Amino acid sequence: MTALLLPALFLALFLFALARRVKLYDCFTKGVKGAVPLVLSLFPYLAAVLILSELFEQSGLSAFLTQALSPVFSFLGIPPEIGKLVLLKPFSGSGSTALLTELLAEFGADSYIGRCACVAFGSSETVFFISAVYFAGSKKNLAKPIVISLAANFFSLILGCFLCRIL
Amino acid sequence: MNVIFAVLFSGAALIFLFRDPEGFLPAMLAGGEKAAVLSLSLLASYCVWLGFFEVLKATGLADKLAARLYPAARRLFRTNDRAALSLACQNIAANLLGLPGAPTPLGIAATKKFLETGQDFAAEMLFVLNATSLQLLPATAIALRAAAGSASPADIVLPTLLASLVSTVLGAALLFLFRRRT
Repeated sequence: MTALLLPALFLALFLFALARRVKLYDCFTKGVKGAVPLVLSLFPYLAAVLILSELFEQSGLSAFLTQALSPVFSFLGIPPEIGKLVLLKPFSGSGSTALLTELLAEFGADSYIGRCACVAFGSSETVFFISAVYFAGSKKNLAKPIVISLAANFFSLILGCFLCRIL
Repeated sequence: MNVIFAVLFSGAALIFLFRDPEGFLPAMLAGGEKAAVLSLSLLASYCVWLGFFEVLKATGLADKLAARLYPAARRLFRTNDRAALSLACQNIAANLLGLPGAPTPLGIAATKKFLETGQDFAAEMLFVLNATSLQLLPATAIALRAAAGSASPADIVLPTLLASLVSTVLGAALLFLFRRRT
């Protein structure tokens, strides 16, 4: 079903644009012109966040934190096996996708751990990545919105794991 | 961000220093390589979506959609800046539909407009909405479960949707709460 969405969306818009006598080729290329400057302006922030997330993981710091936090996770009803995913998700979308794939292979897609991992993955976002990209180049202090987002995501994770048990 | 970067970077570097000094540079280079690869894939997805949005703008549909959402958006973002609100509404719509790669350029453009005119609260609100996930259908998680041989890949939709709804509402509420206090 969802596979139909994209072709249908583009077709509907382009047909509508033709009916409105929009010059499709000129218009489309005008939009794409902004792509390179946009990526260039994001690049330094992407590099910093991704280097940081790589160091975080490869140094064993994330494994150490997962270990240290596992009693907290258990207490809150979050399976400690998904702790690493919870810590990595705010930094890296591709990294956490790879980790989710591993977790599903190890524990099974229909296991409680597997389901919790999917909810943890699907109900949160890459907070640090988004903050780096959206506020690229701004000198604004982002402590408040970042803390709020992380706290809201963490609370909803506790709720999500609880829901996985009863639903 | 400066604090987080300093703390995590020094912590990780310290561990490398004592446990695996030779692994430090390869780890940093791996991060740089990921940034290069990700930039290319972002560039590819912006080629598609920036073209799409320009056509959407030219048809006048973007403004029409924004006009519908304008009264609600004005209250949520506490601003009357029509151009920026239109971008923010498109960002939210793209997030809800889960169009891969589409929300980011819209979010960046809206945030830039908000910050230029000193609408810090609106920029923070847009960030919190994006950072607490607005997606209606967790497509990636469903696809990965199907690939891992799940008997019913879609049965995580309800808990995910509820959790993601709660996080978004909670995030927005907290932001409103702490706005009044300062």
